Amino acid sequence: MSAPPPSTEVGGSDEPPVSVDEGTSPASGRSRGGGAARRVRAGAERRALAVLAVATTALLLVVFYYPVGTVFVESVVVEGAVTLAVFAEILRDPFYFGEFARLFAGENPVAVAHDFLGADRRLGIVGFTAYQAALSTVASVALGVPAAYLLARYEFRGRRTLRSLTILPFVLPSIMVAVGFVATFGQQGTLNTALGAVGLGPIELMFTLEAIIIAHAFYNAPLVARVTTAAWESVDASAIETARSLGASPFRAFRDVVAPQIYPAVLMGGALTFIFTFGTFPIVLALGGFQLATVEVFVYRLVQDLNYAEAAALAIIELVISLGILLGYLRYEARHAVRSRGARPLPRRPLFQLPSISVREVLPRVGLGVYGVIAAFVFLSPIISMVLASVTGGDGSLTLEHYRFLVDRQRTGAAFQVRPWTAIRNSLVFAAGALLVALPMGVVIAVLTTRRYRGRKLVDAIAMAPLAVSGIIVGLGLLRGLVFGVEIAGWRIVIAGSVAIVAAHAVSGYPFVVRTIAPGLEGLDRSLIESARALGASRARVLLDIELPLVWPGVVAGAAFAFAISMGEFSSTIVLATGTDAYTMPVAIERFIGRRLGPATAMGVVLLAVTSISFVVIDRLGGESFGI
Amino acid sequence: MRALASNPGASPTPSEGDPAVELRGVTKRYGDSAAVDDVDLAVREGEFFTLVGPSGCGKTTTLRLIAGFESPTAGTVRFSGEDVSGVPPEDRNVGVVFQNYALFPHMTVGENVAYGLQFQDPPGGGSTEERVADLLELVDLPDAADRDPKNLSGGQQQRVAMARALAPGPEVLLLDEPMSALDARLRERLRVQVKAIQRELGITTIYVTHDQEEALAISDRVAVMRAGSPEQVAPPREIYRRPASRFVASFVGDNNVFEGPVSAIEGSEGDGSRREGPEGAASAHVVVVDVDGAALRVETTEPVSVGDRATICVRPEALRIDGGTSQVTGTVESAEFLGETTRISLDWRGQGIVLRTPDPLSGEVTVGFEPADAHLVAVER
Repeated sequence: MSAPPPSTEVGGSDEPPVSVDEGTSPASGRSRGGGAARRVRAGAERRALAVLAVATTALLLVVFYYPVGTVFVESVVVEGAVTLAVFAEILRDPFYFGEFARLFAGENPVAVAHDFLGADRRLGIVGFTAYQAALSTVASVALGVPAAYLLARYEFRGRRTLRSLTILPFVLPSIMVAVGFVATFGQQGTLNTALGAVGLGPIELMFTLEAIIIAHAFYNAPLVARVTTAAWESVDASAIETARSLGASPFRAFRDVVAPQIYPAVLMGGALTFIFTFGTFPIVLALGGFQLATVEVFVYRLVQDLNYAEAAALAIIELVISLGILLGYLRYEARHAVRSRGARPLPRRPLFQLPSISVREVLPRVGLGVYGVIAAFVFLSPIISMVLASVTGGDGSLTLEHYRFLVDRQRTGAAFQVRPWTAIRNSLVFAAGALLVALPMGVVIAVLTTRRYRGRKLVDAIAMAPLAVSGIIVGLGLLRGLVFGVEIAGWRIVIAGSVAIVAAHAVSGYPFVVRTIAPGLEGLDRSLIESARALGASRARVLLDIELPLVWPGVVAGAAFAFAISMGEFSSTIVLATGTDAYTMPVAIERFIGRRLGPATAMGVVLLAVTSISFVVIDRLGGESFGI
Repeated sequence: MRALASNPGASPTPSEGDPAVELRGVTKRYGDSAAVDDVDLAVREGEFFTLVGPSGCGKTTTLRLIAGFESPTAGTVRFSGEDVSGVPPEDRNVGVVFQNYALFPHMTVGENVAYGLQFQDPPGGGSTEERVADLLELVDLPDAADRDPKNLSGGQQQRVAMARALAPGPEVLLLDEPMSALDARLRERLRVQVKAIQRELGITTIYVTHDQEEALAISDRVAVMRAGSPEQVAPPREIYRRPASRFVASFVGDNNVFEGPVSAIEGSEGDGSRREGPEGAASAHVVVVDVDGAALRVETTEPVSVGDRATICVRPEALRIDGGTSQVTGTVESAEFLGETTRISLDWRGQGIVLRTPDPLSGEVTVGFEPADAHLVAVER
């Protein structure tokens, strides 16, 4: 650092050691270096990003927007004529809309309101769906916020592990969770066995609203906890200290400084929970059956009855409602977003070492203890029950007969029966295929949505829409469109059901790839990219050389997400796999669940093992960077 | 108000040949506000040219327009006469060093320096390895090739960034506040080094800084920018001695700026009428400016009439206690001990006056200056 810059003694006396821009006269072109091959390569690279963007858009159109469009057309075109009759019929049918249907039918609102407030009101399927979603949201928030409080404010062994466990719902297949709860709540379930052991019960929770809500809470409370913890951790300690120094009591400081930063996150978790549970399918199908059908379950039933027009119309109504809620929430978020990263987060209190024995110190910990018992029941019982049930025989003894059943069925099963190995193989092949499609798609969209340009928000919304659209709609659209065959300019285009399944899985997986990569890309210093550009790298080269290597953990985590989501995908797969041998493990579980709980749980354990490996990969390689 | 000093950067004579970098009527708008507003600049081949100004003056945006990271809303950017407005940064043949150095953290120092050489053969015909070694030697880090940039000090990272930018042999080197993250002492040492490298390579260099002292120390010419356009483009000495506007006068160094009507013009004739010297040889005359009742005299060759509103400036070092022909008496408000001198602030009829003395002062102080030590910044008719 001290020596003066070297003069010409380096490398000879008459030649400076470093020559700048030899061979190019100042007036000559700006193009760098020679060689036609290099120019061709540079040209290809320059266009690479645009080509990938176009390819991604085309793929998204074909495997998402076109199928969804097909469903929409199906619902408004009846026997060649455009009509809204199907919609009108659904809206006026009390079976779907309960007392509200009478409003749509033109009855006096006062009379309807009176009956609605009465004891024997009818909610209809849509009303029930919203009702259970609302209750599930309350339960998820009630279960999630204390977890966030624990994770954000207390220090204890295993805190980081517990925090990373909150991404579990994204990788646990919902049908597996459903099997776990059947194993918990069923007649011979662990709950009744445990209650029987202490002389209580049995209680009947199968096919009740309570079971559905607990299962939904299992799924969504970690989401609420995750977003709330992140918000809580970003509260700057000096903001609270400022409030305290200005005379605010601890409670006032919490109310005025901490709470306003937390509740947008709680609201976000709640809104997402409502949307997810409004479109719930496998859990209700397994735990509620058709007695407690939600819209999505009924759409599935209509598809099975080949009543496609009504199924499509109902699916569209569902889509409009959930998109409406999502949009309303996003507008709220845009107005209330608090984007402050705590320069200095609040210090965590040790959970098990009390600084003093006082009400303020003891009471929260007692509360957390009670919470811990409830949380352990909700989160652990389905998993433990499933594993127990898979090794318990009809007489309660320890056995491997269920696993043996899977092996035997593979050997001797008839053609129409579900064969376990076929299901496992299909799941792995589809997941690999979905990964190969979803990963490049996700990377391209992450790049497109983190660059600054006009209309970026629109691109973001269009690219993220699959998060809010149920798999049934995508599956139905793919089935009725490309799988049944489309005629374009005299060519009949038909794709196989298995290809359609891969496409549907890729569509449901790539938003998670985007969400794991985009925050990293967004956080990259722009001058890194600009430095590389100035050194001669094209935009695509910068992506390959600089950006992706720097966000590599996010790329791997995104890949693991895409893989795990494909493994667990149920809604579109069951639509597309009906009557074919393209069934996956979740579909196999659903087929077993009605008749043979044992093999279903055994299959569930296999699925749990595979998704757990994905989870470990995600956790080791940057689950922290996940942007939801 | 009109600027009196000529603006050599704005209109290069055609006989000089095309400037290395030229901006013609360049405007960059973000929404309604113009970050860069109708800028004309010409940077000569081999020149060390500095854009200096307060934050938000558009200096960094100007640099980014030259690099190609932004495209102008209006106007053209030319390299050696050729319009490069539509050329992406990777094809402009520029080297860029950022304030935070932007070294690629997943590459070694050597890989960083070599990065640009995969898109172009090393200038001079040697191998990539030789070129990297040469450049690391040039920036005085000969053994750093295998090191992790994260383990280097700020000054070392800055020099690696320099080497990386220079490796492909750019025609223009663009430096965006490359030293502002370093401490003052290191900054002074590094700027000597940067200047020496620039001299040695003879590379056209455009440097952005908010530090006017740095700008004066390092540059062949300086453009003082304000609100999106240059107020004055001139060599450092001229910027310091003959500021073209009140803003330049007070932005570059400490200065005492006075404003008032011209009460008399003293010169060879002393009749108070307008003075127009013969073409090309304006004769010096002394203009008397009435500032709050005090008659302050400034020597100038500019045409001035009695009754014009004049702005003059006097550097603190030109003020003499109890000396000079134009005197004012003020009260000492503060005395800051700076080591070799003491910086005294006087209050004179509500206006602050700054001077430097060896020793602290207090109470009433009379200071004055000679007409030749003052500068007429601008006149308004």
